[in-house]
Amino acid sequence: MINAFLVFNGQGQPRLTKFYTQLDTSIQQRLISEIFTLVANRPKGSCNFLPLPPLLAASSTSTSSSEPHNDVPSLVTYRNYATLYFIIISTSTESPLALIDLIQVYVESLDRLFENVCELDLIFNFETLHATLGEMIVGGVVIETNMEKIVQGVRAQGTVAKRPVNESRGGGMGLGSGLGAGLGMGGNFVWSGR
Amino acid sequence: MFEKSLYDLIRGLRNHKGNEKEYIQNCLKECRSEIKSQDMDVKATALLKIIYLEMNGHDMSWASFHVLEVMSSPKYHQKRVGYLGAVQSFKTDTEVLMLATNLLKKDLSASSPIVISLPIAALPHIITPSLALSVLADLLPRLSHSHSAIRKKTIVTLYRLALVYPETLRAAWPKIKERLMDKHEDPSVTAAIVNVVCELGWRRPQDFLPLAPRLFELLVDGGNNWMAIKLIKLFATLTPLEPRLVRKLLPPLTDLIRTTPAMSLLYECINGIIQGGILGDSEDDGREEIASLCVSKLRGMITFNGDANLKYVALLAFNRIVVTHPFLVAQQEDVIMECIDSEDITIRIKALDLVQGMVSSDNLVSIVSRLMRQLKTSTNPNNDQLDDLSTDSSEEMGAERRSRKRDEAPPLPEDYTIDVIGRILKMCSQNNYSSVVDFDWYIDVLTQLIRIAPASRKEVDSDGMALGPKSTTADISESIGNELRNVAVKVKAVRAAAVRAAELIIAKLSMETTSHQVISGSLKPVAWIAGEYANLLSNPSDTLNHLLQLIPRIRPSEVLATCLQASMKLFALIAGNDQTYWTAERKSMVSLLMARVIHTYEPLVLHPSLEVQERAVEFTELLKLTAEAASAQASSTDELEQDPPLLLTQAIPSLFQGWELNSVAVGAQLNVPMPEGLDLDEPIHPNLSSLLAQADSLMLPIQEDDEFSAYYNEKAAPTSISSEPAINRLRDAPETTSGSYQQATEDSYLDADIIARRKAERAERNRDDPFYIGDLGSPSRSQGTSTPIHNILQNENGPDLDIDSIPIMKLDLGAISSSGVGGAPGTPQRSKAPKSRPQIVVAADETLVGSRPSTPRTGSQHDSDADPSSASAKSRAARKLKQSLLQVDSSHLRNLSLEASHSEDSGGGALPHEKLAETDAEMAKAMKEVQRLRLEMQRANERIHVAQGVPTEGVVVKSKKKKEGKKTKSKSKSEEDGPGAGEDEKEKKVVKKKKKKKAEADATEGGGEGGPVGGEGEGEGEAVITIKKKEKEKVKKKKPKRIIQLGDEDDAGAGARAEAGEP
Repeated sequence: MINAFLVFNGQGQPRLTKFYTQLDTSIQQRLISEIFTLVANRPKGSCNFLPLPPLLAASSTSTSSSEPHNDVPSLVTYRNYATLYFIIISTSTESPLALIDLIQVYVESLDRLFENVCELDLIFNFETLHATLGEMIVGGVVIETNMEKIVQGVRAQGTVAKRPVNESRGGGMGLGSGLGAGLGMGGNFVWSGR
Repeated sequence: MFEKSLYDLIRGLRNHKGNEKEYIQNCLKECRSEIKSQDMDVKATALLKIIYLEMNGHDMSWASFHVLEVMSSPKYHQKRVGYLGAVQSFKTDTEVLMLATNLLKKDLSASSPIVISLPIAALPHIITPSLALSVLADLLPRLSHSHSAIRKKTIVTLYRLALVYPETLRAAWPKIKERLMDKHEDPSVTAAIVNVVCELGWRRPQDFLPLAPRLFELLVDGGNNWMAIKLIKLFATLTPLEPRLVRKLLPPLTDLIRTTPAMSLLYECINGIIQGGILGDSEDDGREEIASLCVSKLRGMITFNGDANLKYVALLAFNRIVVTHPFLVAQQEDVIMECIDSEDITIRIKALDLVQGMVSSDNLVSIVSRLMRQLKTSTNPNNDQLDDLSTDSSEEMGAERRSRKRDEAPPLPEDYTIDVIGRILKMCSQNNYSSVVDFDWYIDVLTQLIRIAPASRKEVDSDGMALGPKSTTADISESIGNELRNVAVKVKAVRAAAVRAAELIIAKLSMETTSHQVISGSLKPVAWIAGEYANLLSNPSDTLNHLLQLIPRIRPSEVLATCLQASMKLFALIAGNDQTYWTAERKSMVSLLMARVIHTYEPLVLHPSLEVQERAVEFTELLKLTAEAASAQASSTDELEQDPPLLLTQAIPSLFQGWELNSVAVGAQLNVPMPEGLDLDEPIHPNLSSLLAQADSLMLPIQEDDEFSAYYNEKAAPTSISSEPAINRLRDAPETTSGSYQQATEDSYLDADIIARRKAERAERNRDDPFYIGDLGSPSRSQGTSTPIHNILQNENGPDLDIDSIPIMKLDLGAISSSGVGGAPGTPQRSKAPKSRPQIVVAADETLVGSRPSTPRTGSQHDSDADPSSASAKSRAARKLKQSLLQVDSSHLRNLSLEASHSEDSGGGALPHEKLAETDAEMAKAMKEVQRLRLEMQRANERIHVAQGVPTEGVVVKSKKKKEGKKTKSKSKSEEDGPGAGEDEKEKKVVKKKKKKKAEADATEGGGEGGPVGGEGEGEGEAVITIKKKEKEKVKKKKPKRIIQLGDEDDAGAGARAEAGEP
């Protein structure tokens, strides 16, 4: 199952944190910063999987080889879109490559919802981020991978349009200009074949 | 007052770069007051802001009650915020959770699907067994909700319920299965079910075998890759239980492998084949084919375009294959070894895992050489820098990976270095060193590793850290040292070499550590070697000197204690020679030495560690005594020959002489049989004290001693597997092993001085090589190769002999390199290894017959000085740790059997149905009884509480009935108590119900006392949500009433009991 879904930006500021088992806020933050250090130092062309951060590694080193399936989180998958990192922490029952695709589905769904999504959208609409994730994953289990249905599910809650971001854009507050480069979706479809 | 919206907050955050902290504190303060507002909109907005700040690390557990308030809002968009807050902040021990039960139940039965979704999605985050029990009844009907979105979410939520409250499955599983079997079900619901079944599957695969036909059908014509992946994973856990599945699965899987365009599905097919054990034995043609197909596909993944992800997953798959089919993986050694040098650390670690599994005596040397080269090139130039930056290795990591070339070789991250060293040790020591052919080479590697190993700063800085890599750095150099010690103890043939290595290490340590502290953890085992095998040292007095210099600079008390002991042993060896006479020269030499030793030891007499203090005190006193004796003893002159004082030649050396120490298997102590008739609780003798008083003080110890030695001398022979005598008998020339010497590669990872010594040693060895010179007749060397004379010879004759030895080297190279490094880990050459193997005998760990056959841990661990109890304590601690972060504990689930529900569908059906009917009947009966008792009690209650009245009774009773029934059902199922106990239970329930009813009545009166009642997990919260702050005083007011009530209930209960007793 999926143990956590995180989104943070290039400075390590969290944009979405969802832990499917409860953790203290301070430990959550520690975990995020550990993962961020790992993720921020990846060389170009390296794989989308991270070694376990120290917090998690301490708890699972002894079992990883003896028991292929267990409850211990053993896989940290990430993807980088423009300024954002999307992280999934999961156990070995999830397929690594499928998780990469899952992140892709999530980002594409957001893109549909926000129309050319950028980090700013996510900052100001973090409720929608949660709603979208809630349509895909419940309690750590994937329930939907079909983008149509995800978008439909979020729209049914009637939230996306109501958020002030659109106003702000319309009102020309000047915030959207610097960062609104979009998430560069087009260039990231390496995996579309799967 | 103007309130900020979330938007304002975020904008403010962005505008306050630099002093965000202050800004956030202000915002939090505002939020704290806003959230107490009566206006729901303000409250919800404040909560949303708090949730946003929580994401950035500001605890919001203080707001849990307000979360609950917002959750109960009738407006959806506010409710949603409330639920988001609950998901993000509630823990299972959050107190207000108990008050939320009723709200959750109500929202679960809402008419709007988006409202229903909220509690369904939130439940997995906050679920507790009692909560599961109370919401289960409301959740189950949602499985047949008209919206597929609700259905699929419900299924997952039920799974999470089952994790904490396994009984959930008993009720839910038949319905879930029904959904799964339904061919007209929405495909996304089916996919969700498959996901859940996959999660459940590995815990109790046998329960899901009956589903196989339907799952197979889904796999073949599901057309959904996501689901197919999960199905394959599920089948992989099922096939070991049902071998016939393999035959059925193979065609579709091979088909998928050949045709699918989706790489992830392709990979999972291969993975499934591996995990399901389908690779199997190669007797079947089809399987042979599929095995080679898989392996070739995986190989393709590694080499494909340099796609790192595929490389990673292929290595993952190889890691699984290697357990069962090492030879298949060994064929891919070339590509795997490439991955070890990958610049991506994730891939590198996986490759290391893999390499560890496929190591054998053929490729050990080449693998370890490769790793050593990696370590050496990266650590050597910046040794000091590493020390400075050890805490912040992440930056180095990045820099290191970006530009990793042989010549530049930036430093590796420290924990990676430690990891690699650990693996090298593990690879070499596994199976009691079965893969190591050339122990001299191994000793050199160890010596080099000690130099490479990162210094143990952390241990010095802070050893109070509970989590994380506590003192791994300290441990790693110690475990290298332990390895060296193990070799010295276990492999007699190379003991001399090991001792010399220890000598070198001590010398180097004492020279190098100019700073105040000695930080290498390797000193402890190394000092032990030097002390224990002091007679093999080439220069004991130098070593003693080094040790004495080191002792004042050692911080850890354990190391210090070992060094004290070792230096004393050395002293005993140097000074205790009773062959030579007590000349004046010797007398002065010994006296000086003693003065030095005493001088070193004396400051430690006051050492805080008792172990160190005791040894220091003992040795100091002993040496002082000896010093007196030595100065009293006149030195021998030309006429009169004097023996050295006995204290020096007899007493002190006899402290350290005795049986040779062999390695003992962990847990061997547990296998010592308990002597017949031994009762430890019984006093040894009825009147022991008087006996002791009478006894001659000399008699007792002597007797004990006899018994002691008799026990060990008689027992030891049959039980120990020590191969010590075998060595002595079989092997006279111990060091003629032929290793694979590749001078070129060794140069690249061993330090120059080690290589030089190695060369010299090899020359020395070849001199006596029977294959080389017609020296056959000469008596082969014994272990005493390290006598000073030999060393001198070796040093002086080195160059000549080196020239002579060249042909031998070539011979070795030719023979071994083809078997060790050659592309195909050859079957033809394999015969070579066994030939050279028996030459070195590695003593097995001693244990007793009938012991546990194998100890899972590696030699380095069980030979460490730690006693077994502390080791087991450690493992216990590890287990506790393992349960820690992010892990879902599913251990309960493992004990629940779904068999009942399964046998129901798999055929007969009579029994479960009967059972079901039985329980239904039982329940009906129980309900009737409850009803009757309740009525009885109502009446009793009415009689007493005439004044208060019980207006809404009838309604309340009706609404509660259903739940009560459920509870009775679950209880009567779970505990099969006698009828009496059941009765009691019912009574209890009746009492409870009355309380509830009471509470309800009160609530309608004026605010209610939801708190305490809700606290029982009975879910009486409805009123609670509306009462807010008034609650407390209300509760206070209620207290006295409740007491009266309780009294009443007792009466009523007694009455009920009386009633129940009657037929």
